Amino acid sequence: MSVPYITSRLLYGIPLMLGVTFISFLLMVHFGPDKTYELIGKNPTEEQINEVRQSLGYDQPFLLRYGNYVKELLTLDLGLSDSSGEPVSSILIKTLPISLALVLPGFVLGNLLGMALGLLAAWYRGKWLDKLVMSASVVGMSVSFLVIIISLQILLCTPYGLNLFPVRGWQVHGLGSYFYYVTVPTLALVLVTLGYNTRFYRAIMADEIERDHIRTLRAYGAGPAELLFKHVLKNSLIPVLTRIMFSVPFVVVSGSLLLESYFGIPGIGLVTFNAITSGDQPILKAVVGLTGVLFVLALTINDMLYSVVDPRVSKS
Amino acid sequence: MMGGAWRRLKSDRYGMTGLFIVIVFSMVAVCVWSGLLGQGWSDVSGNRWESVSTTHWFGTNLLGQDILQRTLFGTATAFEVGLLVTFCSTLLGTVMGALAGWYSHGWLDEVILWLKGVLDSIPFYLFAAAVAFALQGIPWAMHLAMIITFWTTTARIIRGEVMRIKQREFIEAARAIGLPSIKIIFRHVLPNTFHVLLVQASIVFVAAINTEVILSFLGLGIQDGVSWGLMLAESSQEVLAGHFGNFVAAGTSLFVLLMGFNLLADALQDALDSRRATA
Repeated sequence: MSVPYITSRLLYGIPLMLGVTFISFLLMVHFGPDKTYELIGKNPTEEQINEVRQSLGYDQPFLLRYGNYVKELLTLDLGLSDSSGEPVSSILIKTLPISLALVLPGFVLGNLLGMALGLLAAWYRGKWLDKLVMSASVVGMSVSFLVIIISLQILLCTPYGLNLFPVRGWQVHGLGSYFYYVTVPTLALVLVTLGYNTRFYRAIMADEIERDHIRTLRAYGAGPAELLFKHVLKNSLIPVLTRIMFSVPFVVVSGSLLLESYFGIPGIGLVTFNAITSGDQPILKAVVGLTGVLFVLALTINDMLYSVVDPRVSKS
Repeated sequence: MMGGAWRRLKSDRYGMTGLFIVIVFSMVAVCVWSGLLGQGWSDVSGNRWESVSTTHWFGTNLLGQDILQRTLFGTATAFEVGLLVTFCSTLLGTVMGALAGWYSHGWLDEVILWLKGVLDSIPFYLFAAAVAFALQGIPWAMHLAMIITFWTTTARIIRGEVMRIKQREFIEAARAIGLPSIKIIFRHVLPNTFHVLLVQASIVFVAAINTEVILSFLGLGIQDGVSWGLMLAESSQEVLAGHFGNFVAAGTSLFVLLMGFNLLADALQDALDSRRATA
């Protein structure tokens, strides 16, 4: 990986970041609700109004306000939450680990299971096992996330089912309580992503398995595990990496938003959900802006990984 | 080409099942729009949480409203969201994709790709929240958020198709006789992407209905009327107390309709595959 290649990728990321921050600025700061009248008393004078507007920065020109927003994001000096008065950055730092602990097991399991099922289907392509796995994945794709969560809750958390796990909450003190609270959300996340993952991995594996060198290896009696890790996955690493990189924001942000607001787990998703319902602008603009910037960063790193995986990429 | 595709679709049992499901649901939606079904969705016609009976096939909800009526009305809401979002985002995606593909590697292409990159970088539910936040009180905020984010996939696919098609001889011929670009794009290039658009549109439809459910649960969705998402949101509290009417009615309808669309989309993809059509 050469230095000019790295700089060119970084330069490519800058317009994207500007765009992401600009859109979140436009939606949440520029067109966002005017907070002037929440902060002043009854029958304010012209002067008082101007004073409050000045302290909120409303009198500044458009571009300057945008510049301030970008500066806030870069320095992580995100202001105070409207509802709790706590600094937004400390709220985010406090809640991020919880969200990751909640979402990562499901994300990893969903991909591994999808890979295994995809390989199984591709291996027995056209046979009944392939058809069974693919029909099941269409069924999986047709069930809404919300329906999966509610069904699991009925089956596992209420007296109408097995009643093994808590209905909601997150009081994690050790490994035991972690499993107690994380199992049902993890199962939901695995089930909602499994159908899509299986289809994706099957499509990739089916393409790869048809290749001549794989057919020859199969004829020589190489087993599925050896073929998968040594030959198939290695050659399909680029689409797999892209898929995983692109699904991280979906699974982490959207997954935690829904799971945490449903199960009452105090992670970033619940903070965001509460900010949506109460109109807490400092939190919303920080979360949207930061995830956008982080996603562009992840994409840039992804592009760089390409050239590690496949040196031809950086030469073209 | 379309004749062959229809023949292949007809011989696909799963695809025809999907088509049948979609037709039945869309007929229900048409009946609701024309005032024949589901008109009593907001009437209080019974007591709180009545169980299943001949007057209330799925029981009643917290306020004593008939769940069957609400489910039927929800079908129309689902189609309203699905059709509007699919139509607008497909239109936008086609125009943007065609322009980007036709002027590929030019400045217009770069701008469209940049815009697509930016919109793809904001996780969707957050984007919807941001749009809803900016457009407080406007009932179309959810639809708008979906249209703004869903067109990018269609545009990417159409861009690729247009870049492929513009290499073909008949386009070269159209250029040689001096047809203006706009005319070539809309008369000669885009009609050849119809099969891809049809499949993509059915995928967008599924995504729109699915998303409405989640956004409604988060309080960012349907503002007036009733939808399956709102019913599921209601049911999330009720199931803990043992009232399953809302959950079973909305969950099942949602599942069957999405299943129908997914089966249809798969069958369309197979039937319209150009490689198989020429073979």
